[in-house]
Amino acid sequence: MAKKILIIDDDEQLRNACRDFLSDGGYEVDCAEELEEAQSLLTYIPYSVVITDLRLSKLAFGGLDVLKHIREQALPVRVIVLTAYGWPELKTEASASGVDAFLRKPARLRELGAAVDALTGATA
Amino acid sequence: MTKSVLETILDSSTLSVLFQPIFQLQKGIKRVDSVEALVRGPRGTKFNRADILFDYVRRKKAEAAVDQSCFVAICDAVTNLPADVRVNINVHAATLGQNSGFVDFFRRCAKKRSLTLERFTVEIVEHAPTCDASRLTATIAQLRDLGVRIALDDVGLGQSNYRMMLDCDPEYYKLDGYFVRDLNRDPKRRAVVESLVTLAKTLESAVVAEAVASEDDLAYVSDLGVDLVQANILCPALPLEELQKLGHIEASPIFSPLAKAGDAFRHVPGLERGGVSFGVALGQSFYT
Repeated sequence: MAKKILIIDDDEQLRNACRDFLSDGGYEVDCAEELEEAQSLLTYIPYSVVITDLRLSKLAFGGLDVLKHIREQALPVRVIVLTAYGWPELKTEASASGVDAFLRKPARLRELGAAVDALTGATA
Repeated sequence: MTKSVLETILDSSTLSVLFQPIFQLQKGIKRVDSVEALVRGPRGTKFNRADILFDYVRRKKAEAAVDQSCFVAICDAVTNLPADVRVNINVHAATLGQNSGFVDFFRRCAKKRSLTLERFTVEIVEHAPTCDASRLTATIAQLRDLGVRIALDDVGLGQSNYRMMLDCDPEYYKLDGYFVRDLNRDPKRRAVVESLVTLAKTLESAVVAEAVASEDDLAYVSDLGVDLVQANILCPALPLEELQKLGHIEASPIFSPLAKAGDAFRHVPGLERGGVSFGVALGQSFYT
């Protein structure tokens, strides 16, 4: 059965590009553009990997809330943070929340695919 | 500009409506008593799953707005049902307790489509601590004045607790499937169901068992005095056309709100509210 991946980003173009690339790689991919949508999907669907930006919406660092939700619910999911923001304190906070990999935007899709494969145990 | 997720859901034209029959079981014969209208989110999205759709709506605290959108979609779908089929709709307690305009919206929406309000039962659902109880009961009273019946959904779980039973004073108690599961093998579950049935009967209400999963459990709920059953093993939630193909929905006397002349009538105490009592024909559905 295909491993399920959730992409959380408010940039529709990026979501679609990642979705298409990972779907071609054999993954079942869902996308969420906002925190509440991601929380609902995570509640009901057993994802293997979540790929999230840290800055969701123009108002808040919603990605940290996604990480908090995953931690509080003790969800058995691996997390890749994909973000343009490289602030050390943010990275430290995210790492403490159990992030498995960081990728700096703009990341190459091949790089993202490799990170997902590594976390799901898939062979390249 | 692209619509947000919530905006998409609030567009009632993106919603679809399925109907699941609620059966009366008597002496091995099942008769359709009513149907529950179940809304699904936009096709091709994860919101087509009701659990994800309504979880999201609650997280967005958009229950009232989405309940209204759902009701519009349901009313549009109900126009294709025979006029005498009773319809259950789900409404959050928060909507009834906070949105003072809901009853008027409900009335106008039904009237616009020439749907009689008496055919509706509002199933009150709640997943969060309840709002203003006095406003909730006032709204329920307004709905009853319009002829709408009240059901309390998911009884025994979450906020569908004893307080809600008293505040809502429902005509129907809908027992959550959690309590009905493996009833044939679990004496503790049987004790819980038995106590809820006794309570409901004492309060002159009918009991609906949801999500009965086996023929054995079906026999048990019937023996315990459960009046009505809604279960996938009897019929899952389906589009109207499929229900019609299966013969569950048709303009049939079993849906008739009043029996034809000459039938024996029976008074149903549980459905006497506000001075209005319902006469029903023996051998036909009790609650039509």
